[in-house]
Amino acid sequence: MRLAALTRAYRRRAPGEPRAIGYLYILPALIVYAVFLLYPFGQSVWLSFVNWDGLTVATPAGFDNYRALFTDASLRAPFLHALLLLLFYAALPVAIGLLLAAVMSRARVRGMTFFRTVLFLPQVLALIVVGVAWRSILAPDGLLNDALRAVGLGGLARPWLGDYTWALPAVGVVGTWVGTGLCMVLFLAGAQRIPRELYEAARMDGAGPLREFRTVTLPGLRPQIAVALTLTIVAGLRNFDLIYITTGGGPGNATSVPAYEVYHRAFETNQVGSAAAVGVALTVLIFVLTVTVSRLVEGRRA
Amino acid sequence: MTTRLERNVTYGILALFTVIALTPVIGILTTAFGAQNSLDTGFSLPKDGLHWSNFADAWSRGHFGTYLGNSVLVTVVVVAATTVLAILAGYAFGVMRFPGSTVLFHLFVIGLTLPQEALIVPLYFDLRHAELTDSYWALILPQTAQSLAFGVFWMRTYFRGSARAVIEAARIDGANTWTTLWRVLVPMGRPAISTMVVITFMWTWNEFLMALVMVSDEAHRTVPLGLAFFQGRHSSDAALLAAASVLIALPVVVVYVALQRRFIEGMLGGAVKE
Amino acid sequence: MELARTGARRPRGRAVPAALAIGVVLLAAGCVPGTDGSGAAGAGTGAATAIPDPAKAGKTTLTVWDQEIRGGTNGEIQQLNREFERKYPNVRIKRVARSFTDLKTTLKLAVSGNHPPDVIQANQGYPDMVAFVRAGLLAPLDNYAGIYDWNTRYPATLLNLNRVSADGDDFGRGRLYGISQTGEYIGLYYNKGVLKRAGLQPPRTWGEFTDGLARLKDRGELPIQFGNLDKYPAIHTFGVLHDQLGAAGARDTVLGRGDGFDNAATKDAAATLADWAKRGYLPGGANGLGYDDAAKKFASGDGAYLLTGTWQLADLKKPMGDRLGIMPPPPAKAGGDPVTTGGQGLAWSITSRSRHPEVAAAYLDFLTDAHAADVMTRHGVLPAVPARAAAGVSPDSVDGQMIAGWKRLSAADGLVPYLDYSTPTFYDTLSAALQGVVSGKTSPDSFAATLQKDYGAFMKKQREQHTSAGPR
Repeated sequence: MRLAALTRAYRRRAPGEPRAIGYLYILPALIVYAVFLLYPFGQSVWLSFVNWDGLTVATPAGFDNYRALFTDASLRAPFLHALLLLLFYAALPVAIGLLLAAVMSRARVRGMTFFRTVLFLPQVLALIVVGVAWRSILAPDGLLNDALRAVGLGGLARPWLGDYTWALPAVGVVGTWVGTGLCMVLFLAGAQRIPRELYEAARMDGAGPLREFRTVTLPGLRPQIAVALTLTIVAGLRNFDLIYITTGGGPGNATSVPAYEVYHRAFETNQVGSAAAVGVALTVLIFVLTVTVSRLVEGRRA
Repeated sequence: MTTRLERNVTYGILALFTVIALTPVIGILTTAFGAQNSLDTGFSLPKDGLHWSNFADAWSRGHFGTYLGNSVLVTVVVVAATTVLAILAGYAFGVMRFPGSTVLFHLFVIGLTLPQEALIVPLYFDLRHAELTDSYWALILPQTAQSLAFGVFWMRTYFRGSARAVIEAARIDGANTWTTLWRVLVPMGRPAISTMVVITFMWTWNEFLMALVMVSDEAHRTVPLGLAFFQGRHSSDAALLAAASVLIALPVVVVYVALQRRFIEGMLGGAVKE
Repeated sequence: MELARTGARRPRGRAVPAALAIGVVLLAAGCVPGTDGSGAAGAGTGAATAIPDPAKAGKTTLTVWDQEIRGGTNGEIQQLNREFERKYPNVRIKRVARSFTDLKTTLKLAVSGNHPPDVIQANQGYPDMVAFVRAGLLAPLDNYAGIYDWNTRYPATLLNLNRVSADGDDFGRGRLYGISQTGEYIGLYYNKGVLKRAGLQPPRTWGEFTDGLARLKDRGELPIQFGNLDKYPAIHTFGVLHDQLGAAGARDTVLGRGDGFDNAATKDAAATLADWAKRGYLPGGANGLGYDDAAKKFASGDGAYLLTGTWQLADLKKPMGDRLGIMPPPPAKAGGDPVTTGGQGLAWSITSRSRHPEVAAAYLDFLTDAHAADVMTRHGVLPAVPARAAAGVSPDSVDGQMIAGWKRLSAADGLVPYLDYSTPTFYDTLSAALQGVVSGKTSPDSFAATLQKDYGAFMKKQREQHTSAGPR
């Protein structure tokens, strides 16, 4: 009798109430996710505390692999490169995107679908294809140098990807090319959503374009800026494909980045423990940066 | 209340950035139709007619027929598996309450920022131990897991937003959770689901690192990997390389042009809605 | 930078429980398969005693990984593969060919995988071959060498470069782990047309060669074509310069018994390379030019000289015809003995887990016997041991020049192994440092110091290993 009542009560529970059947629905996804993502990540952490060449017996390394990230110049450099690249991969696209959004938020644009489709296009191309295209543009007699020579700036022409000073910025520009469209589309959509009355009010107060941008557009786009920074930072720190296809970390090690270093160490030079430490450190870096962004830009409190 | 000047500036800027966005794409396209063995190492314009044969050459000499087949197979399975698993999990997270659901959900969300580089090393040794490297499974299983982070997050957002009243009505009609999901919510959620499908499709199709590490055997190679090695062999043959690039990018670009709204919506996450 | 599997949502403040959950997973993650050393396979022994007969092997697929993608070697391998399959209809050869760089980056993954190829081309020296042997991934070939008379087919100096000590510690002695098909040396290619325009003859001495560079430059010609985007080509250029200043010392260093790199020869060679770059004897921005693109430019008349391996001959000859010439780097005195970097092509090895070692051995023999040598010669490729067809090549043709150069170098013992064999990490160290020298960023002194640091550390480790293992 009591059992029957319970069963009835269970069946009649409203959707918001606890039900064990939820676990069943989650289980398949959780198994795949845990086995092929969470568990290997845990193993990475474990691996980062050993010395292992991938073949013989692993020996404990304590924090040596992490200490080396700071003391070994060949490990420090990739992280510095990655941070420098973030200027091109995240800061520049966001800045350009904001500038454009500021200009364009004042006018209604026709054919927006077309522009959006084209500007966003770089995002959907495989990075390998992007790399092939840009390798060609940046080649010694590629499009960029040809263009420079055509306008009489031949003195600036150089083998961009083979130049110690310029290879890193050159790879960075490719990132800017990929990321700018994303930021623009994001900010334009956000700007359209800012109530027109705010602009009108600002203009009534006699605000020029600059103040209008500072007092209306910028605050109105805060959430979009945070999203754009998060997306571009995460993508910018995981740029293995682009480096592999354009420079392979060269010239010298001028464009080595953590993502490339993981592959290089683990599968080419047999330093598996060190590779794992680089991977874990990269995760930490991404985590710290994204949390910082969401706190700073969005002003969210935990 | 915009002036003519402002409008012109706006269109000018849009046009400029359109050109910048399209130059590399058009460069690859025109080079792909150019003559092979030309001494040009950069982009070129086809001077003596369109060389359609470049595509046939890339197809046969680069084995891209096989690679495309592999890519299609892997992509279809990953997308299908991700879709089903993410719908199930997203449904539970979105409309049911049970102890630990918040923690479990955040576990999935963390996957959004976890870089592949941080797990690929042990993953390789695990899969090798399980004799799964050089098989489709080595590409399918990890990529499904990685897509699930986004998929579960995305589907939960949809299910949360789907009307309580609809679920309640279905329940009163005697539908259980399973039939409510598949008969009512999934048909209603086609837009959200198709967004997830195209995004997963794009990620899987373009994936490079996983394929580079897990597959050394030519028979299981996917197209991005094929292109990378093709570039190694034909780095000085710009036309062939460009033709191969076009073959690879085309499927994604076609789907993108047809469904660009879904792509953009998915890649920007829930941000635009906020 | 496409948004690889990254959603827009940032983890919110409630990440703490999730972090805890991750912690649980961490605890669960005990150990990674293979960290107990079980990944190192036992070395196969190659127990054959009689000549293997692939015809009796039943239906067999032989997977072969090579890097012979250039016109000449590609054609020669294709033909030999076809002939092998015709001879043994039960054997199918599954060939995977990729560029040297791509092969180098993926080979380690492939041979340590579950289904390694049967036959691979492994680069000699510590970075690749020794590392594979140490991990038990290659099968020793000494038995086959006896059965097939490889020991007499090749000069000992060449064969030794494919040897690794049984404990996997030392390169250059011990068991045989591969045989090479082609001979190769870094030669001085020249464009007769360009030299003539500048009023120059092909140089007879090293001094004539270097003096001519300034003249070429003055006449508006590019003296030496060179592309170093792929990092390795400078190893060859530097090797040639290094050899001119002390071939014997360089060879001893590579084989682990020399005085290393902190010496005048290294610094002077680096200084010369930097000087060539600075004076414009090399193309500006060589670090940004692909190796094959440079060869293509040389073939189209851009550049008087090209210092690279004999493997390029067939591809250069096709567009250049009679304008192409080749010689070993000219000796210090006219008629003297030339020295250069080279030896033999990448070794063809059998993996220890191949299920068809006998068929693989027969294949290796087939690729390297006298008939194969003739096929190579006909494709414009230099065989390690030239056979009958080589005698029929006109000495005035560029192929004839190449073969004559090989014979002179072999007779004079003028071949110095590639410097990247020296230590497990030397390929990376040397190629990265050389890009610095070419760009003028790295001074000869700091270049020598970088090399010595890598080399010295490895030598120290080798000595410790030998001491701890007791005298032998």
